[in-house]
Amino acid sequence: MSRWLAPIAAGALAAALAWHLSLVAAPFALMRVAMNRLGASGRVNSFSHGAPTRAESQFVVRPSPDLLYSTCVYDRSSGPVLVDVPAIPDHYWSISIFDARTDVAAVRSDRDTGGAPARLALVAPGTTAPPGYQAIALEHARGIALIRILVSGDADYRAVDPLRQLASCRAG
Amino acid sequence: MLAGGGSAVQAVRQGFADGTLASGPWETGKDFGSVDATPLVRARVALRGLLALPRSEAMYFTAQRDSSGAALDGSCRYEIRGGRFAARWWSITLYDHAGWLVPNEWHRHSVGSGAVPAQDADAWTIAVAPAEEPGLWIPSTGAPQFDLTLRLYHPGAALRDAPQQAVMPEIQRVACGA
Repeated sequence: MSRWLAPIAAGALAAALAWHLSLVAAPFALMRVAMNRLGASGRVNSFSHGAPTRAESQFVVRPSPDLLYSTCVYDRSSGPVLVDVPAIPDHYWSISIFDARTDVAAVRSDRDTGGAPARLALVAPGTTAPPGYQAIALEHARGIALIRILVSGDADYRAVDPLRQLASCRAG
Repeated sequence: MLAGGGSAVQAVRQGFADGTLASGPWETGKDFGSVDATPLVRARVALRGLLALPRSEAMYFTAQRDSSGAALDGSCRYEIRGGRFAARWWSITLYDHAGWLVPNEWHRHSVGSGAVPAQDADAWTIAVAPAEEPGLWIPSTGAPQFDLTLRLYHPGAALRDAPQQAVMPEIQRVACGA
């Protein structure tokens, strides 16, 4: 009996380790897929403004057809990345910064800014932001910056679209 | 190793006690998008709602069943009945089990608070049915089984702290089959 205890314990330990590794690795892997899909054009540190979501054009699971999405695959490994979001009056909007393991490093909505533009600097820990920008320290160099804007129908989309084109994501 | 990896996948796919709260058929996670998230919660979010927002910004509730406990069926007609939420705006969206919008000829997948007439804000009814209807309606055409995600943006403190005590919409099955 006792000679089976060690293999059983080792087996249980291996299973527990595999469990943990699968869970820890999953977000990184999925985020990498999302980044590759979004950055398929090869453009990093640049916003891409998605068309209104249709069943035929979904870039990630559970997209909301009520929201307009603009995405930037950022890479702060060569220095700060500056993210500017203009004011979009009378609409819910937010900018969120996701790191390589899907954690949200920052969210700023029109409620947080009082309707003013949002200006974030994505930096390595210990780095300061340029004047006028709020530093968001990121342990991982790459991730996704995502703008959401609530729109109601096609006419509203056409009114809002030129405004969001003013958003920028660029190496500082 | 396989057993551990396999059961991890199962736990992530199915969701279970760790980090899940429910009010009626509506389930939500405790800590989406938070650095406090456990590896299980984080993996589940990555699989079921990548790029989801933390609770302070938005809450996501998903119903896979009606209020009587039966799985949501695309050949049935349902009525979702609800009222105001302690949130800035909300929407209900239909997805297939894998989390994708289901193509339909109307390109309609959701109803949001902005579409509810002001006089109905306290007591609205949204139909979910395969055939076109006037009023608030989400097509379930082409979705043998589906689920519904309720988004609540800028939820109030009581909702954030105790989502399981929130009064959530009833999902009533009205009729099935053609």
